[in-house]
Amino acid sequence: MQLAAYIGRRLLFIAPQLLGIVLVSFLLIKTIPGDPAVLMLGPTATPEAIASLRAKMGLDKPILTQFVIYVKALAHGDLGTSWQTTRPVLEDLLQRFPATVELVTFGLLIAILIGVPLGLAAAVNPTGWVARVADIYGLSAGAVPDFWLALVLIYVFYTLLGALPPPLGRIDLALVPPVQVTGIYTIDALIARDWEAFGSSAAHLVLPVATLGLINAGPILKMTHATVEKMLQSDFSRYEVLCGMPPRTVIRNALRNALPSIITIMGVLYGFLIGGAVLVEIVFSWGGAGQYAVQGVLNSDLYPVLGFVLFSAIFSLVVYLAVDLIYFAIDPRIGH
Amino acid sequence: MTALLEVSGLYKSFTISGSRALVQAVNGVSFAIQPGETLGLVGESGSGKTTVGRCILGLLDATDGSIRFRGQDITLGGRRSKSRGKMQLVFQEPAESLDPRQRIGRSIEEPLVALKFASNERQDRLLESIGLVGLSEDMLNLYPAELSAGQQQRVGIARAMITRPELVVLDEPTSALDPTARAEIIELLQRIQGELGTSYLFISHDLSTVRFVSHRVAVMYLGMIVEQGDAAKVFAQPVHPYSVGLLSAVLLPNPKLKYETAINLQGEIPSPINLPKGCFLASRCPLVLQRCRDEMPPPENLGGGHIVHCFRHQEVAALDPTTDTFTRFQEEAKRILGVFPVEPQLDSAAAQSEN
Amino acid sequence: MQVVAEHAARPDATEPLLAVRNLRVEFPTALGDSRVVLRGISFSLLPGEIVGLVGESGAGKTTLARSLLGLPPVPGRITAGEVLFRGTDLRALPERDLRRMRGKDLSMVVPNPRGELNPLLTVGEQIAVVAQVHLGISRKKAREKALDMLKAVQIPDPRRRFDAYAHQLSGGMAQRVVIAMALVCSPSLVISDDATSGLDVTVQSQILDLIRALAEKQRSAMLFITRDVGITAHFCDRVAVIYAGQIMEVAPRHAFFFEPSHPYTIMLLAAFSHSPELRHRWTVPDVKRRTVEGAAGCSYADRCPLAQERCRTVEPPLAQLGPGHFSKCHFPVVR
Repeated sequence: MQLAAYIGRRLLFIAPQLLGIVLVSFLLIKTIPGDPAVLMLGPTATPEAIASLRAKMGLDKPILTQFVIYVKALAHGDLGTSWQTTRPVLEDLLQRFPATVELVTFGLLIAILIGVPLGLAAAVNPTGWVARVADIYGLSAGAVPDFWLALVLIYVFYTLLGALPPPLGRIDLALVPPVQVTGIYTIDALIARDWEAFGSSAAHLVLPVATLGLINAGPILKMTHATVEKMLQSDFSRYEVLCGMPPRTVIRNALRNALPSIITIMGVLYGFLIGGAVLVEIVFSWGGAGQYAVQGVLNSDLYPVLGFVLFSAIFSLVVYLAVDLIYFAIDPRIGH
Repeated sequence: MTALLEVSGLYKSFTISGSRALVQAVNGVSFAIQPGETLGLVGESGSGKTTVGRCILGLLDATDGSIRFRGQDITLGGRRSKSRGKMQLVFQEPAESLDPRQRIGRSIEEPLVALKFASNERQDRLLESIGLVGLSEDMLNLYPAELSAGQQQRVGIARAMITRPELVVLDEPTSALDPTARAEIIELLQRIQGELGTSYLFISHDLSTVRFVSHRVAVMYLGMIVEQGDAAKVFAQPVHPYSVGLLSAVLLPNPKLKYETAINLQGEIPSPINLPKGCFLASRCPLVLQRCRDEMPPPENLGGGHIVHCFRHQEVAALDPTTDTFTRFQEEAKRILGVFPVEPQLDSAAAQSEN
Repeated sequence: MQVVAEHAARPDATEPLLAVRNLRVEFPTALGDSRVVLRGISFSLLPGEIVGLVGESGAGKTTLARSLLGLPPVPGRITAGEVLFRGTDLRALPERDLRRMRGKDLSMVVPNPRGELNPLLTVGEQIAVVAQVHLGISRKKAREKALDMLKAVQIPDPRRRFDAYAHQLSGGMAQRVVIAMALVCSPSLVISDDATSGLDVTVQSQILDLIRALAEKQRSAMLFITRDVGITAHFCDRVAVIYAGQIMEVAPRHAFFFEPSHPYTIMLLAAFSHSPELRHRWTVPDVKRRTVEGAAGCSYADRCPLAQERCRTVEPPLAQLGPGHFSKCHFPVVR
């Protein structure tokens, strides 16, 4: 029952946390130079037209009033309208957010599959060649920009080898996307048993996921390496060696003890990548939420940006809650 | 003559966060310390002895009862201004109580800085203090990590003595030290007491040290003083079952000297939350009666300041004959180890080779 | 606690269970050379014997304990000597074989048990895993065995405590768990490193009784390492003293306490006597540390009131003073 109460409390807190986040974002965005009315009407607009449009858009009211109006609309599920796409922001995001989630989730999975084993191997044998390779990899992953790697991969695998589809979105242009259930093409294709769509969307995923995976394996690798190494040097680990436990057991237990830290960084990365994958999204014309938000910023289009902030904030908060729950499950010292 | 420190009916309990349970750390403690006297406060973990020390120093506020210093009521923190500097504290872990980034000279004079002494006065007192504990002036610029544990503890004592306190509370001052350093520190404390007449509240679980350092001793169990009195007398013949249990567990470095007793305490110390209404030892005492479970034994004065809380203390006294194991141990040690040739043995081999 | 009766070595057991010869352990320093932490350590244990090892901090007790198991504290290395266990030199064994013996034939009871137990596993599981790995029994049987051990170490409410985690136990209970882990495979040799320091004196008393009873039942020999000389007087058959990485004196219990002969031993015993005059007789005031480490001669010479020129230049021999009584001194005190 303690657990249910804890989850309930956390979920309850999400609402005020979101309010705070949105308020700060709102105020920050308002400081971006650029008058939407001017942008919308073009350079030939007259000052009267601009003023009238501003009044219509409510831009002449004090900032806090504008905020209150926005929040009131939010309560009705109205996230405003993007003047760029001329569609409700909610619709836009419901289409684009799953794309980002799909990309980022698979990307993170690959990052984990690369980073954890490498980090583990490096920690177990700190002087071996694997450790040295891991160190170099960790450094490079941090130094290499993700869009650069994306371009390199595209060049090698598409331009040179022709093995993978061009970076033009999530699915072959000739194909129809599967019926939307989750918005994630691969899953929706499976549900609809549309094998062609599945194959195509999977193929389109390979390069962007590889990019994100290779780059983000770096921090995961380093965290795994550092934490497992620390655990192996701890008193309890040495004690297990004293008791004659086989190396496999000692390493497994060290990893278990290192999990909280590793999971933390995974959670942080996951939340970050929703927006942080934007450059990869742009390179691959992914049509994701990050891309949408950046366009909003460039066009002083307020509502898409705020909508994106809201979505990604909710996503991050849920991820952090999941991470904390995993802590509960792993570590008996917490929460009892 | 007024006692230097008088504690009456001291109670202290802590609430546990997130629940309404109360940890009853101190339950009605009363004792007095005269000027120039050492009172040893002994007990195991959970006995409340450290909490008593902190209440006396004002680091914790008592829940009930009174603490008087030279007749002045200092129970609550607000009334302490006159006694500042008159009471001091020496900690257990010297390495942890000294700021590792501060030279020891600065650490030692810190209490004077708090009392707003002028710089030249501090300097005088500083030299006086380190002379008292046997440190040399050139050590003042060292950092704690450069000193041995014994030397670090001397620094702790110098820091305590610099305000010329009348009472020093020592909380396990030698538990973290090796036997040689321990003996040195104890001798130092006794010398200081001899020279300056400082009183000590010596809190420790090391019974043989307490025996030789204290004039009087108080044995604590679950926040109560179950027996107190003249140290030599209580150690020679304790009359509370817990005191007997405690003393009989002490292993002295002499295979033939063992505190034999028929009284064996079972089990472990119960939790200080939800204490029973009768005697706290009832669940473990081999001499327990129904009466012990129903009511808390009142204090019985056996004369000479010897007070015990037990209905059956007379039987305890009768069960075990007077066995002052500690004194016997010391006498034996002197006999065994006192074999010191007046002249060191002549190095006969060297003498021969010289010829 | 029961007073130990005089212990005679079993007549059929003349072969030492453990024979350490000239063990040397060095720690590389930052400057590139080595610091010698243990030097010329030689002693032996008969089956079923309890030998106490007394020393102050920094003398090398923990280094010795762990080196016997082939695991000197990082970054130490064993650079010379033999550790013969039942005639086999442990130093010559490959790590895999040594690992099989640790926890099974020779085990260690560690101090500060709560810090040494795995925080994420229940204590019952940890004991069971040791049994499972070393005895090759099924998981179910191992758990039963672990529960039996918990009962044997007299943990209150053993069934419930089986599922407890290290942080939920008191110091005394955690110490019992660690003892259970060390004894679950009935090892022939148990090394106890400061197993009772930090425990309340009544708990210590119970734990010592417990260790002794279990060791006797399993016929284990024990090396009991401690800073508290008092324990050894009532618990050990023989006592050895270590100072600056060397064994200065070893003697049967009676001889150790009633006829100590090495000036360091005597000084240590005097420190426990709380008689300042006695202690001062055996202490040299204002010790000046030798600047050169590892210089020739006796390492105690600087602090010894009986030291002479020869002590500073020639390494003292191991002089025999009686049956089983040795003192590393040029001028041992004889009565």
